[in-house]
Amino acid sequence: MNNPYEVLGIREGASEDEIKKAYRELVKKYHPDQYQDNPLSQLAEEKLREINEAYDYLMKNSAPRQETSYNGNTGGSNWNSQGDSDFFNQVKSQINTGNVKLAEDMLDSSGNRNAQWYYLKGLIFMRRGWYDEAYNHIQRAVNMDPSNYEYRSALNRMNTSNNAYRTNSFNRGYNKQSPDLCTICQCLWCSDCCCEMSGGDLISCC
Amino acid sequence: MFGYIVPEKPEMKIKEYELFRAYYCGVCRSIGRRHGQLSRMSLNYDSAFLAVLLSAVGNEQVKALRKRCVAHPVEKRHIVCDSGIVDYASDINILLAYYNLDDKKRDDGNFVPKAAMLLLRRAFKKLRKQYAAKCSVMEERLKDLLLLEKAECASMDQAAEPFAKLMEEVMAYGPLCTDEKHEKTLRWIGYNLGKWIYLLDAYDDLEKDMRSGSYNPLICQYKYDQRDIGKFRQDIRDRVEFNLTYSLNEISRAFELLDPKINRGILENIIYMGMRRKTENILGIGSCNKVE
Repeated sequence: MNNPYEVLGIREGASEDEIKKAYRELVKKYHPDQYQDNPLSQLAEEKLREINEAYDYLMKNSAPRQETSYNGNTGGSNWNSQGDSDFFNQVKSQINTGNVKLAEDMLDSSGNRNAQWYYLKGLIFMRRGWYDEAYNHIQRAVNMDPSNYEYRSALNRMNTSNNAYRTNSFNRGYNKQSPDLCTICQCLWCSDCCCEMSGGDLISCC
Repeated sequence: MFGYIVPEKPEMKIKEYELFRAYYCGVCRSIGRRHGQLSRMSLNYDSAFLAVLLSAVGNEQVKALRKRCVAHPVEKRHIVCDSGIVDYASDINILLAYYNLDDKKRDDGNFVPKAAMLLLRRAFKKLRKQYAAKCSVMEERLKDLLLLEKAECASMDQAAEPFAKLMEEVMAYGPLCTDEKHEKTLRWIGYNLGKWIYLLDAYDDLEKDMRSGSYNPLICQYKYDQRDIGKFRQDIRDRVEFNLTYSLNEISRAFELLDPKINRGILENIIYMGMRRKTENILGIGSCNKVE
């Protein structure tokens, strides 16, 4: 096992609170939801497993455990929705195991172009990196069957995933407002006036 | 198509900026040392990014020495030396520059690209032998791209595929691909990087392509119908932005999986800020906050 402190990105001998905080942030970052329609989803699961092991190890060796580690398997549960025909289930399981090419061939050979077909085709496009086609196909599935929760949540995921990137970039300082020169001058001038009133003088010329 | 991958300088730490420049100078020096001084003119920032990323993934111990160089004879600068990865980035720089010139020559049959190609020819021939497998894949992709252009492909995803696959090949640096996980992740970064570059370039060239009547995937997909160019740009902007940001998000997710121990600050700066800034500048979003 790798050094658990390194895995969690904290200094050695960090306190329990620090461990928990780092752990929570990492789980959020590598959560299966973040990688759901992504060809790297299996790698993300591995990473999460490693993080869980590190966390378990550290918690076991400090105090009795209060928090159970996150179980990564729940992310894939919505694959097993009921009422689908066998064929579409097979395609789904092929997509799920990363066999995108085979899933696409199966789908293309089928003449039945219903909402489910467009939805699955969209998922395949997403894994191939064809985001525009993916969006259009899933949108079409939603239009054909607006009551289906699975289609709508996939469309929603696409719409919100860009916000994740934007938030990350904002947190690193992108376009954060910092005071411009004008504001700084104004503040200086104001504090100078205040000082003069109480007898002192910050800037002698005004 | 070059020079879109840039850092957001005002948000960089000084030590990160110094190190990034050391990589940039390292690539430049490596080109000069191995392929002749004139070839250095083909240098661009993208190659520096490639070197920084790959050496982060390989966890390479860098050796940055203070040296003088032809371009900056007065002041000594830090330069990354003796790095296999920097050498690879400089080779890729030459190969891509050559392919790009070849493409330009075909477009307008101009004298300038022909002359520049002559300068790079020797280096190119040598590298073509050295990276035979990689080059044949890349040339195959470029052929695909030409075919799609000729057929006036009306889907941005399909049109971007060859270039995305080409960048995938660039990122798959042999020695790092012994680890299957690294290969998969690097290839995914490459694919999305290529896609981002291709689409951004297409949007950037809208006016030019309309005037000259050249192929542009966005004009074909969104069926430009002689309306005002500015209006057309505005109309398709949201969709293009969605696709560009989606690619950037995929790059960032893959990058987080690589979880590099070195060069992290530089890479985060470029992926989360520099590339976003470039995207927004070209799309014309938030230009009042432009930082020079």
